[in-house]
Amino acid sequence: MTLSQATTGRAKRQVKTATLVGVDVYIITEDGIPAFDEYGAFKIEFVSNRGTKVWPGYVSPDLMLVNWYRCRFMATRTVTDAEVDGFLSALTKKWKWSAAQKLWNYGDEAGYSKAY
Amino acid sequence: MEDFIKMGKHVITMLPGEGTGPEICEAVRSVIDHSGVDIVWEYEEIGLDCLKEHGTLLPEKTIKSIAKNKIAIKGPTTTPVGTGHKSANVTLRKMFDLYANVRPVKLIPVLKRPWDKIDILSFRENTEDSYAAIEHMVSDEVAQCLKVITWPGSVRIAEFAFKWARANNRKKIQCVHKANIMKMTDGLFLEAFREVAKKNPDIETGDIIVDNCSMQLVRNPGQFDCLVLPNLYGDILSDLCAGLVGGLGFAPGANIGDNCSIFEAVHGSAPKYAGMKKVNPSAVLLSGVMMLRWLNEKAAADRIQKGFDKVLAEGKHLTYDAGGTASTDEFAAAIVRAMETV
Repeated sequence: MTLSQATTGRAKRQVKTATLVGVDVYIITEDGIPAFDEYGAFKIEFVSNRGTKVWPGYVSPDLMLVNWYRCRFMATRTVTDAEVDGFLSALTKKWKWSAAQKLWNYGDEAGYSKAY
Repeated sequence: MEDFIKMGKHVITMLPGEGTGPEICEAVRSVIDHSGVDIVWEYEEIGLDCLKEHGTLLPEKTIKSIAKNKIAIKGPTTTPVGTGHKSANVTLRKMFDLYANVRPVKLIPVLKRPWDKIDILSFRENTEDSYAAIEHMVSDEVAQCLKVITWPGSVRIAEFAFKWARANNRKKIQCVHKANIMKMTDGLFLEAFREVAKKNPDIETGDIIVDNCSMQLVRNPGQFDCLVLPNLYGDILSDLCAGLVGGLGFAPGANIGDNCSIFEAVHGSAPKYAGMKKVNPSAVLLSGVMMLRWLNEKAAADRIQKGFDKVLAEGKHLTYDAGGTASTDEFAAAIVRAMETV
């Protein structure tokens, strides 16, 4: 095989329209499972710890928790990147967070995993 | 029914699973019931077959049964690949925080292998790593998965491994990692192992990089005793270890947490063989033996193990994968007969 053969004709992934639908925010707290206020168009959907959902619903008392929670906030309407900035600014007033990941749908498909 | 359940010494949730799972679990149950142990079985559903009726792979009733009994034995289930529902297995491990996946492999004489000795015990951290279910399409052509390794999660699997190893008279534990590249994540796992090792000076310890470990396992598996691994390496290398001794058909497993345990084979549900009663029930049966030992039912566990060893040594009633023609039920019946003479 030649270099030319190796580098031509590569498959491209079908491009789908990306729609901003929410934000995962990684909160650091020593005070247990965080509970959230309303943040405009961003509504808390679940909180997970080490990938296991710890809110809402049943949490085994045996579950080992660390001080780092993934908190999924879904948009209740169409939102902009600027609104995400505003949401994170509001969140910062109360919570220490390590990272935020915007959630997009690609076409009709969610571009993010659910928690176990 | 409640009174009946209370009569049993142990109440165990039985999860037959799907595909060949139900016929395997019936064979296993028949052997365990002849071992002299007093068990009441609670049958519950799990897996893809539940979707039609319950809309979930893991019905609430099943969860409640496991939560109540705190011990279960499980047949194989099918995990959708790439899309669809999440694995029922992983969900159970997460839900009940079954952090220690214990998988022993030993040479089985009837299966001719090119080695003189294999006796490896792997301890796979079962809840963290890239199994934390944190995945995102961060652009339309880039996917990322967070590899989550925590100090308390790493410490507890290491501590568990040392306790299990000592209780089973094992001599050496090696931590398997890739800390030369993943210095934070695997580095933390290794650091926790070394910290725990300091408190267990009676057991020889060491560490080995996962790629070298893979090569060494294939070239000279007899050199290994116990391995402690993060989730992904443990998933892969424990199957490799099973392959060394003849495949997943003889590979038992236990998923253990601080308050709940689920014992299961790690092979698939083999749906194309469902109903044919030809598959090898050994992996689930040996998982049952592990379960009995966990329940401190040593006599019953020894009885089954000796019967199993005798049937394999005689070689007259082997399933097709071991070179025989016996059905699942005939293999189980032969073990029951052998148990009466050992």
